Amino acid sequence: MTTDSQLVGRAQSGDQDAFAELLRRHSDAVFRLALSILGQGFAAEAEDIAQEVFLKVHRTLPTFRGDAEVGSWIYRIAFNQAVNWKTRARYRKPHLNDASLADAATSQAGPDVLAETGERDRFLAECIETLPEVYQSALRLHYWLGASMAEVAALLDVPENTAKSYLHRARPLLDVMLRQKGYSYV
Amino acid sequence: MSDIDELLRRSMAAPVPRLSPDFHRSVSRKLQRKSRSSTRILLAGYAGVSMIVSIVLMRNQGLGWLPIAALTLGPLAALALVQKSARRVR
Repeated sequence: MTTDSQLVGRAQSGDQDAFAELLRRHSDAVFRLALSILGQGFAAEAEDIAQEVFLKVHRTLPTFRGDAEVGSWIYRIAFNQAVNWKTRARYRKPHLNDASLADAATSQAGPDVLAETGERDRFLAECIETLPEVYQSALRLHYWLGASMAEVAALLDVPENTAKSYLHRARPLLDVMLRQKGYSYV
Repeated sequence: MSDIDELLRRSMAAPVPRLSPDFHRSVSRKLQRKSRSSTRILLAGYAGVSMIVSIVLMRNQGLGWLPIAALTLGPLAALALVQKSARRVR
């Protein structure tokens, strides 16, 4: 199988098929990384960011010297692009999608329980937003998008132990914030 | 810490969005459009510079403005005509 570096070499000499293959290999990961930074309810925006990332990769391809892994280079561009977008958007509230409305409508729990857990989940989401970007991204990648620690590490371009430490540090912080607010875990 | 672990798992449980099926095609289309427009800019620049150079050279050879205009604009008009007729055929 052709390696990413070989594909980059071919793309640098104008082979559009090689670039298309790079796009095919990394598009899902870039999209997931963007989602993990923006959060739930921002799928369309994450897709726009993924497009921008690949246009930027194509534009800066001639300057890529191969000092880093191709994947790491692309994911770093994606991370910065998504964080910049988020900063510009100033934490706009996500829209409720149809699936979450349907979930709420078909839930078996009573209205008071729903209200309390809903409120707690909202507060938890707000707490997550206060954490450093890498913690937020690691949490969403792992708990929402179901990424393994190896995948989290690859996408955030850090060793696996560092990715694990992001979760180890984030969880007690969230725990303290929830307890201070008086929320239980039932 | 398993409590918070479980809570995070539960509160973040939501459908995972997927990339739209035409994502790759749309990126390729944008790239093509971009490369087409940069080629157009390059060609227009080249045409502009060569036009100026030929006008200066023709003027230095003592040609009047009328033949210079005819020699410069004539090919452009011919090109426009060819393009127009090709579009009509299509």
